Amino acid sequence: MKFKKFMRTYRPFTRAGMLESVAYRANFICFLLGEIMSCFIMFFVWKAVFNSTTSPDFMGFTMSDMVVYLFITFLTGYLTYSDGTYAIATEIRDGSIAMRMIKPCSFDMCFLFQELGNKIFNVLVIFVPIVLGVEIYRWAITGVCQFDIVHFLLYIISLVLAYLISFYFNVSYGFMAFYLKNLWGADILKECIVNFLSGATIPLAFMPTVLADILNFLPFSSLSYTPVMIYMGMYSLDEIALRMLLQVFWLVTMILISKAVWNHAVKRLCSQGG
Amino acid sequence: MRRMLRLHRIFVAQYMKNLMEYKVDFLTGAISFLIGQVVQIAFLGIIFSQIPNLVGWEFNEILFIYGFSLLPKGLDHLLFDNLWSVGYFIVRKGDFDKYLTRPINSLFYVICEKFCVDAFGELFIGLVLIVYSVIALKLTITWYMIPLFIIAVVFATLIYTSIKIATSAISFWTKASGHITHMFYMTNDFSKYPTTIYNKFVRTFITYVVPFAFTAFYPASFFLTGENPLFCIGGTVLASVVLFVISVCIWNRGIKAYESAGS
Repeated sequence: MKFKKFMRTYRPFTRAGMLESVAYRANFICFLLGEIMSCFIMFFVWKAVFNSTTSPDFMGFTMSDMVVYLFITFLTGYLTYSDGTYAIATEIRDGSIAMRMIKPCSFDMCFLFQELGNKIFNVLVIFVPIVLGVEIYRWAITGVCQFDIVHFLLYIISLVLAYLISFYFNVSYGFMAFYLKNLWGADILKECIVNFLSGATIPLAFMPTVLADILNFLPFSSLSYTPVMIYMGMYSLDEIALRMLLQVFWLVTMILISKAVWNHAVKRLCSQGG
Repeated sequence: MRRMLRLHRIFVAQYMKNLMEYKVDFLTGAISFLIGQVVQIAFLGIIFSQIPNLVGWEFNEILFIYGFSLLPKGLDHLLFDNLWSVGYFIVRKGDFDKYLTRPINSLFYVICEKFCVDAFGELFIGLVLIVYSVIALKLTITWYMIPLFIIAVVFATLIYTSIKIATSAISFWTKASGHITHMFYMTNDFSKYPTTIYNKFVRTFITYVVPFAFTAFYPASFFLTGENPLFCIGGTVLASVVLFVISVCIWNRGIKAYESAGS
């Protein structure tokens, strides 16, 4: 009963998000083509690297591993991307957050369901081509089909966890606009640091052991590195279980942080304009 | 020309006042850009710790090319960043009317209105990399290298700007074209590495279609090896002039097609 009511309240937000993303589909596709370009650049760089070295692997990664890593990291980053920081900061700055607060629904749930709606279209356009492309490439290079359904399903679960962590992290970060008012610079700083700490720019396996161990424990590796490594089959099942527990731990932590910041910030909210 | 320069100064002063309102914000933006670049360079360092050279180019030479690519990119970012807003929202919201009702050239006005100080991050890193790699490679600098270097950077900047002018002018017909600008602009990352690592299709594309290869690899390879000055520097000048003329034509035709927005 409760669940039904919950879905009835939030389904319209999903619908709105979906319509929004379909309305701007041309923009989305142009944007995607621009972003995926960097994967192809790195593909050519790695090809040249493997041509320049005699050993078949680079710090434990073969060429086909590297290609899977590049494209699945891109896919994971894209699907777990959450716009919360920017959207919340904008609403705080122009005061429209006041309108959200007088509605009889939870603030973060509205955002979450709207964003999920937004993602449905994106998932359809990007997920299948990339996974298919990567698998065909791997198959053509090694001669055996390496697609593993168990790892794939575990990847999906880990991906969903990663998205939720990313969502609550971004919501908490966006609430900082309650204190800072303008969040443009801080937003770029976040992007930059998260990309580095999550292993999206440099695989954690290439870093010094001590640094890699620390980063593996921090929440950022849960955002991208963990699901990607699961997809690639780099972890044993025991390790996967441990990693996912860590993801759940960070998810709970992020939810608690976002609630705490919200409760504190609301008391001193000073709406601008509106 | 004199009047234009004076106007430009006034616009910059105006914009600086605006910026000072959000000092901390601007600083964090510039610092995070620095961090991003340092991470990228560290990554190159990791790659080169395992291989002696990349298709015949050693680490310091790659750093030179990388640094060179940041100079035109940074200059364009510093001076002509407002073109992004044209494609993203100025035309869509009907705000472009403002630029047409002033007694100066609309393109010039749009370009000058904003002055993007966070580009100093790019310029700073670019210069540091170039100076470092020149010293590390013990390059001999002959007198004619310096004017050629300036020419190459200026015309390479014009390639960036022309591509932004042409793609943002599309919004005069379609109302919004920021994402098209983004798509073309992102191609510039290809120019950070030697074109020989790409396959023939990509190489042709970034040399003759969207000539970003002339913004970094070609001119930089001339300064590193002293070979092919005509193609490397002459090509940069030619490509940018041709592109600029085309993009101004598109812009002017676009202005005629502009029909403002309702409301």
